[in-house]
Amino acid sequence: MLFNSFTFLAFFTAIVFVYYLIPSKYRWLLLVVASLYFYSIFHAGYVLLLFGVTLVVYLLGLAIGSAQSSFRRKTFLTLGVVIALAPLFVFKYFDFFAASLDTLLSGNETGGETSLLPRLGLLLPAGLSFYTFSCVSYLADVYTKKLNPEWHLGRFTLYVAFFPKLLAGPIERATTFLPQLLSPTRFTPEGVTLGLQLVLWGLFKKVVIADRLAVFVDATYQTPAFASPVALLIATYFYAFQIYCDFSGYSDIAIGLARIMGFDLMENFRRPYFARSVPEFWSKNRWHISLNTWFRDYLYIPLGGSRVSKPRFYFNILAVYMVSGLWHGAAWTFVLWGGLNGFFHLMSMAVAGLKKKIAPNVGLPGPIGTILGILLTFHLILMTWVFFRAASFADAITIFSRVWQAVPQLPTLLKSFPYTGEIYLSLALIGVLLLVEALDEWRAFWVNLRLRPVYVRWAFYYVLLFALLVIGQWGQKQFVYMQF
Amino acid sequence: MHIKSSHSVKAAPAQFVGQKSTTSVTAPGETSATRIFWKHSLLFVLIGLLLYLGLYLVAEQLTYQNTVRNRFFAIKTAPHAQYDYVILGASHAVVFDYDDMNAHLEEETGARILNLSTLGGGVTVNRLLLDYFLAEHQTKNVVYFIDSFAFYSPEWNEERVQDVQLLQRAPFDPALAWLLIKTLETRPVAPGYLLGFYQINNPDRFKSDISEEEATRFDKTYRPVKQIDQRRLAYLYPEQVDQTTFQRYLTEFETMVRELHEQDINVIVIKAPLPERVYQMLPAEQQFDEAVKNVLRPYEASFHDFSLVSNDEEFFFNTDHLNRTGVEKFCESYLKSVLVLNQ
Repeated sequence: MLFNSFTFLAFFTAIVFVYYLIPSKYRWLLLVVASLYFYSIFHAGYVLLLFGVTLVVYLLGLAIGSAQSSFRRKTFLTLGVVIALAPLFVFKYFDFFAASLDTLLSGNETGGETSLLPRLGLLLPAGLSFYTFSCVSYLADVYTKKLNPEWHLGRFTLYVAFFPKLLAGPIERATTFLPQLLSPTRFTPEGVTLGLQLVLWGLFKKVVIADRLAVFVDATYQTPAFASPVALLIATYFYAFQIYCDFSGYSDIAIGLARIMGFDLMENFRRPYFARSVPEFWSKNRWHISLNTWFRDYLYIPLGGSRVSKPRFYFNILAVYMVSGLWHGAAWTFVLWGGLNGFFHLMSMAVAGLKKKIAPNVGLPGPIGTILGILLTFHLILMTWVFFRAASFADAITIFSRVWQAVPQLPTLLKSFPYTGEIYLSLALIGVLLLVEALDEWRAFWVNLRLRPVYVRWAFYYVLLFALLVIGQWGQKQFVYMQF
Repeated sequence: MHIKSSHSVKAAPAQFVGQKSTTSVTAPGETSATRIFWKHSLLFVLIGLLLYLGLYLVAEQLTYQNTVRNRFFAIKTAPHAQYDYVILGASHAVVFDYDDMNAHLEEETGARILNLSTLGGGVTVNRLLLDYFLAEHQTKNVVYFIDSFAFYSPEWNEERVQDVQLLQRAPFDPALAWLLIKTLETRPVAPGYLLGFYQINNPDRFKSDISEEEATRFDKTYRPVKQIDQRRLAYLYPEQVDQTTFQRYLTEFETMVRELHEQDINVIVIKAPLPERVYQMLPAEQQFDEAVKNVLRPYEASFHDFSLVSNDEEFFFNTDHLNRTGVEKFCESYLKSVLVLNQ
C-alpha cells in the first residue's frame, strides 16, 4: 500500500474520518493501530521486528532516565544503540560486509561453498533504516537530557511507527514529535488545506515527474555499455530530477498527511538544486534535511565537529559523508558516492578559504555569480548521482568514459539523437518543476499562492489534479528511498 | 516546498490527552471559518467533477476514434448480434485477426467470425471476454486456440485480467461494468473502469492500438536464432510446471466448456502450428494434450492438433507466430475445412 495508490487513498480517507470523529484521548490508539496495519501490509512479520525494537528502546529509554550514575546511563545508552542498530546490521549490512571480507581475504565475493562467511540473503524490511535512526536519536536525547523518557508505550510506539513517516521519513525527532501527542489536534481548515496542498504537489512530483523519468533512466542504466552517450547523458540529468522528485515527493506527501491530522513533521527538502555550493546543498538544510541534521547532531558533533584540529575536522566531514553513503545502501558505490560528496565539500571550503585570502573583493556580479554557483554545484552533485544510481562501480565508470569519449562529437550526437515525445514531455515537466522552485526560492511561491484570489489557486490545483489523472504514471512504482 | 503552518497544534492544557474533555473546543470565529471551508470544498469538488466528466467524454471519444483491435471495444461495437464463430486464445490466435485476415476467413468460409483472442490471454481472460460477449450476443461455435503456457501461470490469467492496458480502450458499457464487479479476479480494476480512469490515463490515447508486430512484421519471415527462441520460451513457460496451478486453470477451462455445452454452443479446440524446433522445446506438451482431451471428451468438443502441420520456417514472422503467408496457408489447408465442417 504505497502513497501513490488508490488503496492508500481509501485507507487514509477512512482513518482521517474516524480520527476526527472519535474523542481525542483515543486518537493515539487509532493511529498506532492504523500504523501497524499499514506496515503489516508490506510484511506481517516485520511488525514484530518493529515492535520488538520499539519495546527495547522504550525500556532502555526509561532505564537511562531513571539511572543515577553516569556509568549506568552510558551503559544503557550503549546497549540501546547496539540493540537498535543490530537488526539494521543483520538485514542490511551483514551480507555486504561478508562479501567485502571474502573479497579481501580470498578474492571471492559471490558466496557459496568456497566463501569464508555465510550469506543471510535477507530482504531489508521497509523503513528499517528510518525508524532505527528515530530510535537512536531518542535514546541520545534522553541521555543528554534534552528529553524526558516517554512513559506511555502507545505514544512512544506512535513516535516510531507513525505511518506517514514510517517508510521513508522524515526522520522525526522525539523532542518535536512527542510533545505534539500531548495536545489534542483539532480540525482546522488551514491545516487541512496546507496538508492537501503538500500531498497534491508531492503526488505531482512523484507520479507525474519522477515515475515518468524513471522509465528512461531504468532502461538506459540497465545496460550502460549498450546505451548511446547522449542517452546516458540524458538519463543522468533525468535521474537527478527523478530522485529529487521521488524523495521530496514522498516527504511532501508524508508531511501533508501528517498535517491533515494536525501534526507538524520537519521539512525535508528546501529547493536543493538552487544550492550555490556543495556544503550548502548538504549541510545548510537543502537536501534530506532530517538525515543530515541527524548525522550532524549524533555523529559529526560527537566526533568533535569543527572544534578539533584541522586534519581531524576534515576527517570528521569525510567520515560523516561516507557513513551517510553507507546508510543509503550496502554497496561500495554508495560509500564512494558519500566520499565524493565529502571531497567536493572539502574542496568547496578550500576554494572559499583561498578566495577569502587572495582576492576577497574579486568576484562575479551577484546574479551571474549566483547562477554559475548553482550550475556548478548542480553538476558536481550530478556526477555523484552516477555512482548512486549505477548498478556497480564498473557501470559508473562505463557511463563516465562513454560520455567523456563522446564529448568532441556531442553537438552532432545531440542533433541526431532520436528524441521521443516522452523525452520532450519530461523536459517540459522538469521546466515546470524548476519554475515553481525558482519562484519559491526568490518569491515565496507557496506563500504567495495562498494570497492569490480563489480562482487562481483553484486553477493551479485543478491543473495539478488533472495532470495527475491524464499524464500520471499510476503503475504504483515504489519510492526510491524505501529501499534504503 | 517551504510551507510554514500558522495553525497551532498545541491546544489548551485542559484538553490534554487522558483528561475528561474529549471533544475539541472551537471558537465562534473558527466555526464560521470551518463552515466556509466546507462550502468551498463542496464547490471545488463539484467543479472538479464537472471538469472530470468533460475529460471522460473526450477520452471516450478518443477511444472510439483510435481503437481497432481492443477486444472489449470489438464486442461493444460488433456489427452483428449473432455470429457463427467466436475465436478465443492467446497471441497464436491473434494473428488470424491481423490486417484483413478475419475478413478473408469470413469470405472463405461464408461465416460470421469475431476474433476475441488476446495477447498473453489465458483461460481467465478469455472467459471474461466470452462472458461479456454472451451478455448481448450469440454464437453457434467457439474456436479456442489453446496454448499450454497459458495454463501454467497466473501471469496469463489473474494478473493479465487485471492489466489495466486491456481496459484502457474499453468504452463504457454497464454490462461490462457489472461483469467486472461480479468477477472476483477483475474486482480490483472495476472502479478504475467505472470511473473512466483507465481511458483518461491512457498514454496512447492519440495512437491506434494496432501492434507494432501487426504493422511492421506480419509480412516478414523470421530467421531462427537459438538464443531468441530460448528467451521466448523462458518468458512463456515457468522453469517447472506447477501441477496445482495447471489443474486450477484446467478446471476453469472445463467449467467454460461445460457451460458452453449447456448453452448448445459447440466448442472446437485447436492447436496452432509451431516450428518443429520450437515444439520440441515445449515442456510436457503430450501430457497437456491428454489432459485437455480428457476435459473435452464428455462435452463432445473436438480437438485438432495442428502443431506440426503447415509449419515451415518461412511461415513465421518470429519464434512462434504465423506470418501472413503462414496464416493464409493454414486457413486454406486446415482451418477453413474445420470451420466449414462445423457450420
